[in-house]
Amino acid sequence: MLFHEIYGSYYLAAAAILREAVRGKLTGRELQSLVREHAFGESLMTVPDGLKGGKWRLMHKDLSTPLENEPSMPLTTTEKRWMKALLTDPRIRLFDPDMTGLEDVEPLFTPDMTVYYDRYSDGDDYADPGYAARFRTILQALRENRDLYVLFETGKNTRPELVVTPYYLEYSEKDDRFRLVAAGRKRRWTINLSRIIECAFAYENRNSRLIAAETDTVVFELEDRRNALERVLLHFSHLEKETMRLDESRYRVTLKYDRRDEPEMVIRILSFGSAIRVTEPERFIGLIRERIEKQKRLAAFPTDNAE
Amino acid sequence: MAYSELIKSFGRIRTYLRSFYVYGFRHRDEFTEKSARSYDNERRRIESWLGDYMSFRQDADGRRVFLSVDSRSIPENPLYRAFRAKSFTGRDITLHFHILDILSSVGGLSITGMMDELSDRLSEFDPDEPPDESTVRKKLREYAALGLIKTEKRGRETFYVLSGDRTRISSWDAAAAFFSEAAPLGVIGSYIQDRLPEKFGQFRFKHHYILNALDSEVLCALFSAIGQRRLVTLAFRGQRRIVLPLKVFIGTQTGRQYILTWSPAHDRFSFIRTDRIDSAEAGDVFEFPAGLKARLDDFLSHVWGVTGNNFSRLEHIEMTVFAGEGEEHVVRRLEREKRCGTVVKVDDTHWRFSADVYDAREMLPWLRTFTGRISGLECTDARVIARFRGDFETLAQMYGGNNNAVS
Repeated sequence: MLFHEIYGSYYLAAAAILREAVRGKLTGRELQSLVREHAFGESLMTVPDGLKGGKWRLMHKDLSTPLENEPSMPLTTTEKRWMKALLTDPRIRLFDPDMTGLEDVEPLFTPDMTVYYDRYSDGDDYADPGYAARFRTILQALRENRDLYVLFETGKNTRPELVVTPYYLEYSEKDDRFRLVAAGRKRRWTINLSRIIECAFAYENRNSRLIAAETDTVVFELEDRRNALERVLLHFSHLEKETMRLDESRYRVTLKYDRRDEPEMVIRILSFGSAIRVTEPERFIGLIRERIEKQKRLAAFPTDNAE
Repeated sequence: MAYSELIKSFGRIRTYLRSFYVYGFRHRDEFTEKSARSYDNERRRIESWLGDYMSFRQDADGRRVFLSVDSRSIPENPLYRAFRAKSFTGRDITLHFHILDILSSVGGLSITGMMDELSDRLSEFDPDEPPDESTVRKKLREYAALGLIKTEKRGRETFYVLSGDRTRISSWDAAAAFFSEAAPLGVIGSYIQDRLPEKFGQFRFKHHYILNALDSEVLCALFSAIGQRRLVTLAFRGQRRIVLPLKVFIGTQTGRQYILTWSPAHDRFSFIRTDRIDSAEAGDVFEFPAGLKARLDDFLSHVWGVTGNNFSRLEHIEMTVFAGEGEEHVVRRLEREKRCGTVVKVDDTHWRFSADVYDAREMLPWLRTFTGRISGLECTDARVIARFRGDFETLAQMYGGNNNAVS
């Protein structure tokens, strides 16, 4: 049962508030702040009233409670089964979670039940002990705010050495790859973990500031045929976007993307063929046009095989 | 009925969340499935849960509400908040905290003992009457089913005991943060994260389709049926179909999820989108027919994505791609992106991909990504070539040969 009130924000807020009440430290202001932290935008209108008094019978008006212990809830069977399922995932090798108590639990799903049908096949090698060790070093550096020394191989076969301040581990579901997002030498670095050869804690912390990724915008018009509207909007749904209807079947979509992903964006837009017409910026239109011109020169489509 | 932030069933909100997130161009009067008042209430709820991600635009036709998120910039799926909005009664929450507190104080209790403890506790409040015994019994049974408590027979009496947790949850912080976003049913991981004093927030996710979270209830039922080899009755688009669920197909580029099913009545493999399934009710355990596994493996070796069935004819397709000196990345693309078939080197600058698939039309979007490099394209299904060529000609006309062609 996934959709259940025991996991709900009101229960979470109530547990946090009652925890403070059991400790005898709850104030009216803190109660309100805990509701804001754990529940929703309008919860202040219901949760405090519910808690204080006869409605939920958990706390008196003076903010004392008859509960004897700080609220806690055992893991549910569903939670345990999900955790057990993760133990069958090859990526779990990168972490070191405690498996005690999960011995007799049935996994909620197993890897053979899922197919990532359009995932690239050259993802990271999670079975490589060296990869896992480097991953854990980065994870620890992130936890402890420590700078890292990294030696890695670039796509052009150079081997830079750097001291960087790590900020994130970014995972791509499509590529099945992790990347380290870090700052150093006054620039932003995105380094594939599979390209890192050496990785260790740096001798000193420089705490370099992460520069925001540069973004660009592409605007295109979309003709809704063969369900293109849904296909396109779902395909690009993970990006910040805005869609406007122009008429019965045409829409204008504005997408914001990371500038370094431009070649990928060109390919993705081309995959929708003539259902999409890029209207801005001119530079992006030029990139599409370039590919069309190249294709025209290749003249690849035999007429004898056509309808 | 007075407005509440909370909802009884998740199914109702799925459509609105999807519409605000995927489309975002519809005005209030275009939500015709329910009344305008329903729209106002659902919009208000979603705004209450996801206010930080809601955007508004005023145009000539009125006000539009939409959800816009760059999922790469956030550590957790905001749509999980909708799963934390289940409604409950005052009695539910009273019993929840008191029962768990009583059991952690006094250990195992019979129903009589529990009723005594509850009466004692609740006598401090006005109204002071305890809930009736059948309500408490029902709640205890529900919590036993959820795994929060265990029942033990002591003599002739049933005792209720708090389930013990031996797992050190704090050791799961990073794993829970990662798999909440990168594994199926990640919402459960987000519940586990709620139990931690601090969340690990330093993962980010590229190409991350957060909308799939809305299908979690259906997906959970399907995984359970696959594990138990049960038939399920799927309700979708006004139909009901009894099928054997086999595998969940997750798109990392399309934002869609499908269930691959086998129909005993028609001996047919087919794919059904999970976001179109309203419910999946488990039926009887079904014995796998002899030979089905081998046929499934054979079927899967000829499926490009999520279309086609075992009654279709296999089509042969070949695409030859040009990659000049220093363009090895193009060949690497072919190798890593092909989902079936083979890639062979034709000469120093040409590589040929070929495959036999049930529905070659499904490959068109992928083929188009090689625009500018395709030196040969052939398919036994002539419609594929015709559509590719026709679409390319339209595309070429659209962009024209001069800078003013697109206007």
